[in-house]
Amino acid sequence: MGYSMTLAENVFENLRLELRRGCLTLAVLAQLRQEHYGYTLRKALALRGLEIDESTLYPLLRRLETQGLLASEWREEEKRNKRFYSLSPEGEEIFGKLLEEWRAINAAVNSILDDNQIL
Amino acid sequence: MDLLERYLQAVKKYLPWHRQDDILAELRANLESQLEDQEAEIGRPLNNAEMERWLKQLGSPMQVAGRYQPQQYLIGPTVFPTYWYVMRLAIFWMLAVYAIVIAVQIFSAPDPTFSAVVRAALRVPGVMIATAAWVTLIFAVLEYTMTHYPGKWPATANVLAEWSPGSLPPLERGAIGRKKPRSFATAVAEVVFGIIFLIWLLMVPGHPVLMFGPGEQYMHLSPFQLQPVWWQFYWWAVALNICQLGWHLLDLVHRNWQGERVAQRIAAKLLGLIPLVVLIEAPGQLLVTLKNPADDLARYGSTENSINDGIHRALLVVCAIVVLQAVWEIGQASLASYRKRQAARP
Repeated sequence: MGYSMTLAENVFENLRLELRRGCLTLAVLAQLRQEHYGYTLRKALALRGLEIDESTLYPLLRRLETQGLLASEWREEEKRNKRFYSLSPEGEEIFGKLLEEWRAINAAVNSILDDNQIL
Repeated sequence: MDLLERYLQAVKKYLPWHRQDDILAELRANLESQLEDQEAEIGRPLNNAEMERWLKQLGSPMQVAGRYQPQQYLIGPTVFPTYWYVMRLAIFWMLAVYAIVIAVQIFSAPDPTFSAVVRAALRVPGVMIATAAWVTLIFAVLEYTMTHYPGKWPATANVLAEWSPGSLPPLERGAIGRKKPRSFATAVAEVVFGIIFLIWLLMVPGHPVLMFGPGEQYMHLSPFQLQPVWWQFYWWAVALNICQLGWHLLDLVHRNWQGERVAQRIAAKLLGLIPLVVLIEAPGQLLVTLKNPADDLARYGSTENSINDGIHRALLVVCAIVVLQAVWEIGQASLASYRKRQAARP
């Protein structure tokens, strides 16, 4: 990667990141219906096959909290203070709408791919 | 562990100051848990090389801290198209006003010099940068207030949504796909009138009345006479007309009269400067002199100076206009050629 990236690779990388961005938010909101702190959330997502960099996930949690979608609290666990996140009531509502949107997009894209016999 | 502390300390320096302790405490807890997991997996503490590899993989402190910064734009994507449009307009008009002011200053000076023109041209980049800086500053303030106080700008949100297709400007002449090519009749007429004009021009020295009409009599009575430099001007004008006629004839012969002829237009403008420069560079800037200076100098001396000075200034203005026209046409042609190349790209 990095400086030796060709133009085509760069275009692909940008599109890939764009595609992932929305999906990551949805996955994080879905996973946080159950309380987690940053590291265990990352592990839980990785276990389901969704690897996220620390430098992407932890700021994303902050951003979602600022937007009111997550609630957080500091609590001691295993002799260490950790910040636990969970979906706020507002987050629940928005997550429901996003999920609906996601399913509609997914169904539409799958249908287009089916028609074109890509799958 | 010391390396992790140093890493966190470096990250802290780039974090937003009002939240840095909170963010750092959370980051520390997460990274320490991750470190513990890794150590439990291999059954020993990470050595220095492994620690370095892990931290490197996390990203540089500046990169990690940067992700915690809110997304900020100097000029955001909503405002940017307007910003860019205003920027181009502002620079164009600023240059136009600057050119007029400088032209007036230079030509109203007692002795307009070429170095004054060069000095004014060298100040152009500074004028452009200052204009761009002011426009950027104004739009940055607009962006900031729109982002931070959205309620104060209820009207701006509706400006873009409330446009009407009916208010679109009418099609411009020469719009894409609408440009009418030159007809054969126009091309033939250009040649015919070119020949008539050339014949007329060649007859003028023998029959000045063709140019001056009844005023020709005044030329004989007037105490003034034209200097020989006008002959150079005249023959350059004849030569340029022959060139132009040649181009038109070649277009007809090669059945190319529908072409754009941008190069010809630009070349004609640039070559047209030659006769003007010949007059501007006339020895002592004398274009008109007294027929009998010994008799008439006292009476008409100052008139002679005024006439020469006036013609010289007028020629400089015409020269500047022709140069600007040529620069404009070259710019337009380069832009059109660039667009054509871009459109042809796969």
